Amino acid sequence: MQYYIRFADDLSAWFGKVFAWSIIVMIFGMSYEVLVRYAFKAPTPWAYDLSYMLYGTLFMMAGAYTLSRDAHVRGDFLYRLWTPRRQATVELVLYIIFFFPGVTALIFAGWKYAGRSWSYLEVSSNSPAGIPIYQFKTVIVIAGVLLFIQGIAQVFRCVLCMRTGHWMRAVEDVEETEKVLMEAKTLDVLKHGSEAVDIPSGYDVTAAKDERTKP
Amino acid sequence: MSDPLVAVGMLLILLLAIFLGFPVAFTLMALGIAFGYYAYFDADRMWRPYERAVEQGADSWVIAEHWLGGFFNNRIFDLFVNQTYSVMANDVLTAIPLFLFMGYIVERANIVDRLFHTLFIATRRLPGSMAVAALVTCTLFATATGIVGAVVTLMGLLALPAMLKAKYDIRYATGVICAGGTLGILIPPSILLIVYAATSGVSVVRMYAAALLPGLFLAGLYLLYVIGLALLKPGLAPKPTKEDVGEHTFGEVVWMMLTSFVPLAFLILAVLGAILFGFATPTEAAAIGALGGLLLAVAYGALTWQRLKESVYLTARTSAMVCWLFVGSATFASIFAYLGGQQLIADVVTGLDMSPLMFLIVAQLIIFILGWPLEWTEIIVIFIPIFLPLLAHFQIDPLFFGILVAVNLQTAFLSPPMAMSAYYLKGIAPAHVQITDIFRGMMPYMLIVILCMVLIYIFPQIVYWLPDTIYGARPI
Repeated sequence: MQYYIRFADDLSAWFGKVFAWSIIVMIFGMSYEVLVRYAFKAPTPWAYDLSYMLYGTLFMMAGAYTLSRDAHVRGDFLYRLWTPRRQATVELVLYIIFFFPGVTALIFAGWKYAGRSWSYLEVSSNSPAGIPIYQFKTVIVIAGVLLFIQGIAQVFRCVLCMRTGHWMRAVEDVEETEKVLMEAKTLDVLKHGSEAVDIPSGYDVTAAKDERTKP
Repeated sequence: MSDPLVAVGMLLILLLAIFLGFPVAFTLMALGIAFGYYAYFDADRMWRPYERAVEQGADSWVIAEHWLGGFFNNRIFDLFVNQTYSVMANDVLTAIPLFLFMGYIVERANIVDRLFHTLFIATRRLPGSMAVAALVTCTLFATATGIVGAVVTLMGLLALPAMLKAKYDIRYATGVICAGGTLGILIPPSILLIVYAATSGVSVVRMYAAALLPGLFLAGLYLLYVIGLALLKPGLAPKPTKEDVGEHTFGEVVWMMLTSFVPLAFLILAVLGAILFGFATPTEAAAIGALGGLLLAVAYGALTWQRLKESVYLTARTSAMVCWLFVGSATFASIFAYLGGQQLIADVVTGLDMSPLMFLIVAQLIIFILGWPLEWTEIIVIFIPIFLPLLAHFQIDPLFFGILVAVNLQTAFLSPPMAMSAYYLKGIAPAHVQITDIFRGMMPYMLIVILCMVLIYIFPQIVYWLPDTIYGARPI
């Protein structure tokens, strides 16, 4: 079980992080578009399509990664008061009734949708440049599969937590602590405060340190 | 049970699941599909291939396959994937990761301590000068980054010890940091306004133009309060001693401002100017802003590989958090409307025979209360769509409503029990700073927020002046 959780965490993180870099491509692509439009009066035919494809791929691919780091938004005003065991029990049930049906539908419906697009090698209608979009529609399926794999890991996490009474931490958080220590040699300590709060739901910072033991 | 009642049931289950703390995006997705399956259930259509196979006398395997396939022949799946794709190809939401990245990189650009120090020197002759400096730093920094938690904790580590050392009152010192840091979700270019625009269909550009003055107006009210209180009760904020401040010539102060305040202010103004005057789309301006943020980090010698990586990964995570919420809500909302839940609510509300003002007050009160337990993302993506169709009946402009919501949601960060700003601050403050002190410190600012909303209602010009001046009179 633990082996599988690690595997899923790594897989999700790998996809999430690789596609996270599309933000840099997006920045330079868009800036280039503005530059050539004003400096050379020659707007590109691809920038608009590029922007939403990179954005869409970025967030869809990061879905599973975000789930593995427990960073999806949740109303946790009751949840945070519970013991880990109770959290895990409730979550286990909710994963089964809410998570898997939705994600399965995403995979199958996305499969049909992308397949149709592949069958005639659909291109974008936004510009005459003929930007292909079938690969972009395939992202739905891949994101769904990643979520499914990560979802199983989250269920295992719940089961483990119900047994042991504490959450199994995500791999990256261990690294992060190391990174933080490594950083402390070079950066002033002040900077760490800013990182602890980047857990987007409303944890207070003291709790955030405890939260690191959570998925 | 009639369909509209089913829709209400769907909403109640959603609320229950939110209370149980399950990630909201997936709850929305599952409920949308499950209730959509019910709504679009059409046995004739779904099993038509099966019937045909039976008529043609196909072999039993094919018949079984068609029978099973019938279950997946529901139109909800097409709707779901189409809605998902429309979120992926949404040209408003594209700006979100770019602005997030700009925020993360500016946050790591080593700029905030420089900024606070400079402003403290520059305002040293004002009453409550450190609080004024903290407020202006918070406002500017929060505007550039839009990340409330980061601003509050950074300032809490930087300005709070300085203020406490200068014998400032604890409540006075903590309140100003929490209130100032929260302004980041209101003053453009803020993510909240993009999310509202994407939800309501109001143009982002107009939204930004409309939010600028109210945001600055609220910041101005805060500033008046900070200075006024320091004048009335000098004990709260003792004047800084000579050794705290040191001697600075006018030229030195100008140079300090040029190297800290001006670049950041310029970055924000350039991004906003490009958007407001139509030189670039919000997405393009956000990209340029992100590039500017990168350059700023380079200029301050703060751009390391490590920090770049952090910014990139955090951007991906936070974008996923916001945008998956849209993936879930897109399907949920259309099914809710299809089942007639929207109409039912509209009928009930219009049946109450409220005046527009009453409706506005009730709506804002509901949002205010939702802000206690929930975060602004959930409120805007899930609950605002319920109010939006009612606005036309009461002849309320969705733009105006949106600005009021954005101001109102300031309180979501400031009001107990889930005042995130207070918890962030408590997390890094010295042990003798009590959470109740922070709450008491924030209370006046909540009253100011409410005052600000009343003033905006009485003088709607605060909202409309800038968009009307730039784009001409509003379409009614």
